[in-house]
Amino acid sequence: MLETLNWIERYFDEVTDAVFIFQEDHLLVSNQLAKNLQQELDLDPNYLAQVADASVKQKLAPTDDCFKCEIRSLMKDISIPITLAEDQPHPLSYFLIYHVIDTDNHVFSLTLKSRDIIERMDQLAQQRQLNQYVNRAHEEERKKISSDLHDSIAQGVYSAIMGVRRLREESLSADEIDELSQIIERELNDTLTEVKGMALDIRPSVLDNFGLLSALKVLAQRSQENSGVTVTVIGKADTDRLSSNVQSVLYRIAQESIHNALKHAEANEITILLVSHDHFINLEIIDDGVGFDVPAHRKFNGRSLGLMNMNERVKSLNGSFGIKSSPGNGTTVTAKFPVVGA
Amino acid sequence: MSLEELDSQHDYQRLVNRIYHAEDFDFVGLALPASGQSTIKWYFVAGNQNEQFRKIVLRSGIGIAGLVVKTGKPFWKNGLHDVMYESKMYTPIAKTESLQSAAAIPIYTSKVKLADGVLLAGYRSDQQVSAETISRLSRYLTTD
Repeated sequence: MLETLNWIERYFDEVTDAVFIFQEDHLLVSNQLAKNLQQELDLDPNYLAQVADASVKQKLAPTDDCFKCEIRSLMKDISIPITLAEDQPHPLSYFLIYHVIDTDNHVFSLTLKSRDIIERMDQLAQQRQLNQYVNRAHEEERKKISSDLHDSIAQGVYSAIMGVRRLREESLSADEIDELSQIIERELNDTLTEVKGMALDIRPSVLDNFGLLSALKVLAQRSQENSGVTVTVIGKADTDRLSSNVQSVLYRIAQESIHNALKHAEANEITILLVSHDHFINLEIIDDGVGFDVPAHRKFNGRSLGLMNMNERVKSLNGSFGIKSSPGNGTTVTAKFPVVGA
Repeated sequence: MSLEELDSQHDYQRLVNRIYHAEDFDFVGLALPASGQSTIKWYFVAGNQNEQFRKIVLRSGIGIAGLVVKTGKPFWKNGLHDVMYESKMYTPIAKTESLQSAAAIPIYTSKVKLADGVLLAGYRSDQQVSAETISRLSRYLTTD
């Protein structure tokens, strides 16, 4: 038993969080890290106790009866963000966690948790959410392909079959046959156009056969025909030395940016710039749309996941990714990748 | 382009102008396939606010005009501003001309009973279109 206590004491001294235990206003015991911190930062434990006390009072104040606060007051622990050594060149960010150990004797503990660890956990949570987004986007894409196949392609082929059946089964005059065959031809033509468009949306074969610049030009032409918005490609780039991964990502960024510009920005003109230099290649998509407040969308929300995903894809291939925009001033999306010298 | 074709081209532009002047529409446009081609584009317009309409290629089944070409039946829609880009009802010409509502009827250029063109008229204000708009538009084609 004595040995166990010894171990507990050792653990108490070696944990990575600084722990103080108070009774009323008096510091009862603190671990080694807390003692070090106290010495290094010239920290008064009573200051921490007061901060915690003020925060606890504020959070449990009966006037504060909003829904959220009620949830908060049910929580056993209260965490308070606190910055120590503020006057020094490297302020330290912590979470101060208030935990009641013994209500009757007014014994409570204060734990200083490094916020870096908590931020890292936030990052992991973000990563998880991003993964979820990617999975959902995959599923959405499949749904779209499936409904396109069903609604446009299957429908067109079915109409053509019906037309051919009429040709065979009904006795028609030469004029009527002529007319019907034209209708069937039109139906098949429309279907063919749809199929080609879908193939292009899913994976442009131009990208594999003729390189990034040609693929971007086809994409621009198609976007222009579908929207009436002027899409120009200006390019001076040798893309032979780029890996197919990089080419794909650049193409997807252009695709997503054009899509965003048409969907959200109400742009009248979109310009795609692809320029290669000795050691890097640069892609810019510039639109003259309504623009948006970038910092407001940098935080995690549903709408910015597309941008975050682009960012992740670029970073995973050692590139850099940036968005410049402000309300009323259009948007510029930039992606830059290093190129191995010839 | 033959002399006969040139003549009909002239007629189409005159028709569009006449509707634009006689009615209160903010925009009137007529899309047709160019001779010998299957792509349908907006060649004759009145009341346009820019030249972007020239870039649009009509897609059968997509948007108001595309639907009219595909089905050969008139179609109208209000509240066009809320239609998203991914939507099947997204109408490029309404976008470039800032139309809030539009009505469209099919045009038959050949003897075949197959719509290959479309006549579209619309408003930039919140004026609504209805079946009445369609019949107003249709009168211009039947008297011709």
